[in-house]
Amino acid sequence: MSFAGVLPATRWRARSALPGLGLSLGFTVFYLSAVVLIPLAALVIRPWELGWSGFVAEVTQPRVLAALRLSFGAAAIGAVVNTFFGLIVAWALVRYRFPLKRLVDALVDLPFALPTAVAGIALSALYAPNGWLGAPLMSLGIKAAYTPLGVVIALTFIGLPFVVRTLQPVLTDLSRDHEEAAATLGATRFQAFRRVVFPALLPALVTGAALAFARGVGEYGSVIFIAGNLPMRSEIAPLLIIIKLEEFDYAGAASIGVVMLAASFVMLFALNGLQSFTASRR
Amino acid sequence: MSTNLTDRGSTRPRGATDDHPLARTILIALGACFIVLFLVLPLVTVFAQALKNGVAAAMDSIVEPDALSAIKLTVIAAGIAVPLNVAFGLSASWAISKFDFRGKSFLITLIDLPFSVSPVVSGLVYVLIFGMQGWFGPYLREHDIKIIFALPGIVLATMFVTFPFVARELIPLMTDQGRDEEEAATSLGASGWKTFRRVTLPNVKWALLYGVLLCNARAMGEFGAVSVVSGHIRGQTNTMPLHIEVLYNDYQFVAAFAVASLLALLALVTLAVKSFLEWHYADEIAAIHKH
Amino acid sequence: MSLVVESIAKRFDRFPALKGVSFSAPKGCFLALLGPSGSGKTTLLRILGGLEFAEAGRVKFEDIDWLSLPARDRRAGFVFQQYALFRHMTIAKNIAFGLEVRGRRHRPTRAEIARRVEELLSLVQLEGLGKRYPSQLSGGQRQRVALARALAIEPRMLLLDEPFGALDAKVRKELRHWLRHIHDKTGITTVFVTHDQEEAMELADLVAILNQGSIEQIGTPADIRRAPASEFVADFIDSNAQVRPDPVVAIFEPRSARG
Repeated sequence: MSFAGVLPATRWRARSALPGLGLSLGFTVFYLSAVVLIPLAALVIRPWELGWSGFVAEVTQPRVLAALRLSFGAAAIGAVVNTFFGLIVAWALVRYRFPLKRLVDALVDLPFALPTAVAGIALSALYAPNGWLGAPLMSLGIKAAYTPLGVVIALTFIGLPFVVRTLQPVLTDLSRDHEEAAATLGATRFQAFRRVVFPALLPALVTGAALAFARGVGEYGSVIFIAGNLPMRSEIAPLLIIIKLEEFDYAGAASIGVVMLAASFVMLFALNGLQSFTASRR
Repeated sequence: MSTNLTDRGSTRPRGATDDHPLARTILIALGACFIVLFLVLPLVTVFAQALKNGVAAAMDSIVEPDALSAIKLTVIAAGIAVPLNVAFGLSASWAISKFDFRGKSFLITLIDLPFSVSPVVSGLVYVLIFGMQGWFGPYLREHDIKIIFALPGIVLATMFVTFPFVARELIPLMTDQGRDEEEAATSLGASGWKTFRRVTLPNVKWALLYGVLLCNARAMGEFGAVSVVSGHIRGQTNTMPLHIEVLYNDYQFVAAFAVASLLALLALVTLAVKSFLEWHYADEIAAIHKH
Repeated sequence: MSLVVESIAKRFDRFPALKGVSFSAPKGCFLALLGPSGSGKTTLLRILGGLEFAEAGRVKFEDIDWLSLPARDRRAGFVFQQYALFRHMTIAKNIAFGLEVRGRRHRPTRAEIARRVEELLSLVQLEGLGKRYPSQLSGGQRQRVALARALAIEPRMLLLDEPFGALDAKVRKELRHWLRHIHDKTGITTVFVTHDQEEAMELADLVAILNQGSIEQIGTPADIRRAPASEFVADFIDSNAQVRPDPVVAIFEPRSARG
């Protein structure tokens, strides 16, 4: 029996028989500060040279607002699409046997592994008016590439693994006892799913969707090729940051950056909260 | 999903937790469509477009000087960023998993931070510090040191976006493994370094390889962050993803997809090795996938 | 007296794990630390091994200020409850580890190490299994590897944390006698932690009974049996022997359970 994890009230760390805490923690904190924390601090400080009103004016410009709306809105739609199809894919991968299952399982991680620029030009070629999918869609009167729909498509691609990979372990661990109990109590399969399985999956579903959403909001590479980048219409927030930087409007770029950073912090803490909430109910 | 139909197709009654065959077929079909539309087709497109004018044309665009210099720069940037992040990952996970100190969970949250930051913002932060009008901009210009629009900036941005990969794989695993073996090694007279090298490291080698693999894939493919700091100087500060962008915007589609197919191959190899590791060494890398 | 422990105290957070423990034991003694879980016995053992640190108190062992030595210089063979075998090393490599990590000047030659490993393998009756990995052994075999590994460094003191805790009853009884036999053969001062009074009383020269961070009594098994120093001791050395009423049964048969 060890009492690891409990600290004496008087010291910041427990004494240990193993050496190297000072060195390893020192390097960790130094590297973390140099690469991540100080640069992020620079971002947070920068917009204040405009003052509060300047900052507000900057981020409420119609073009900025439109870009933020597109980034957040398209990411939200992509997350919803992924929640639906991600659940189906995860369910099939965990519960069913079918040919090429292992290949499909490995392929789910493709959006993680494929560089975003490669995904971007591929999606763009695919959905362009003369592309394999763009042409049929055009004949249906749907223009996918170079419109907000294109942004949604790219963000759906990017977000898929988050939902599937969050759901898979939960589905695997989900004991079939409860479903069996529901069946013996006379529930139909659908009732068993809706009233027993689905509530158990809900936290993972929300987590996966939130991760996909968070990734989508900041996504750049896979989007810009297919988006068309028309100001006010299909221009995403990260692209606007780059445009402002090219105009040497550092404070303007930083202002948009701060808004996006704040949004991702809120997501991060909300997710942590959700996780500890579900952990406490387990 | 249909509900109270009996299973007429087979003689054996359906198990209480088996889905109706029709529901099963529909779900698999839906999932397959989605996978094909969103994953398979984009991947096939890359190679199909690259080879549209034949293998020779594709090869030409890869061995052309600008492409070669982009490949070289990508390898150099990843070659610096990945080992540094490995050193960081090992040191952070040693401190976090083998010791108790205040603020540990806060530290873990901070390590995950770069994952939730937009790639473009990751590049932006360095421009704000080292750019022309950044904190150190004037000083750097005076001393003729180039960070932004040069290799150091590209390396820094790559380090930022790939920062958590190794640490994230190692921390849960090493925490799971506990410190018994290290304590045993110490009580048998091993020094800290020998304990780390001969006991800790061999126990996490597959997880480490897994982390390095993912870290490297992301490092070589990073686009948004590097795009902000590179300046897009052809033949000088273009990495492979940036080179692809330039070619694509120049309507040199075959060339763009030829270079892209190299990165797509890297992604496929990464996925293959990753799946292999997951199947064969599940217990030795699995800590992270359990929570 | 060879091992002298003086008012060792240790807190975890605000909860005192050891409240000033003192005792002494002669050289070559086989000492059992007996107590319920949470009594502080494992903490005391880990302090002796250098894996945990006392906030107050002293330990003298063979005239050495024991607590001032770092764990790696103590040469205390520590056998962990879950054995803590190095899972990626063969049995032979596990046993050789303590010799191979020595500084060049103190390290035996490769042939000498191999000879010692063979010797230890036969001492713990695992001849021929040197090339196996820990995962290929049974619990009882792993236990013996852990002991061989601890003995390889020619320990000044042997510390065993619930050495038979993870084994089934039959193997436990076999290993018990065998451990005593090894102790008698090597003559190393041995401290072992257990919650099983039968094990402690049958095996040890001296038994120290701990409760809530203090020693209730220390003495030979015969002394303790004859004159328990407190109600707790009397209860504890008695309780494991008699079967307690099953609580579920107690609900349905309250009278018979009372006896």
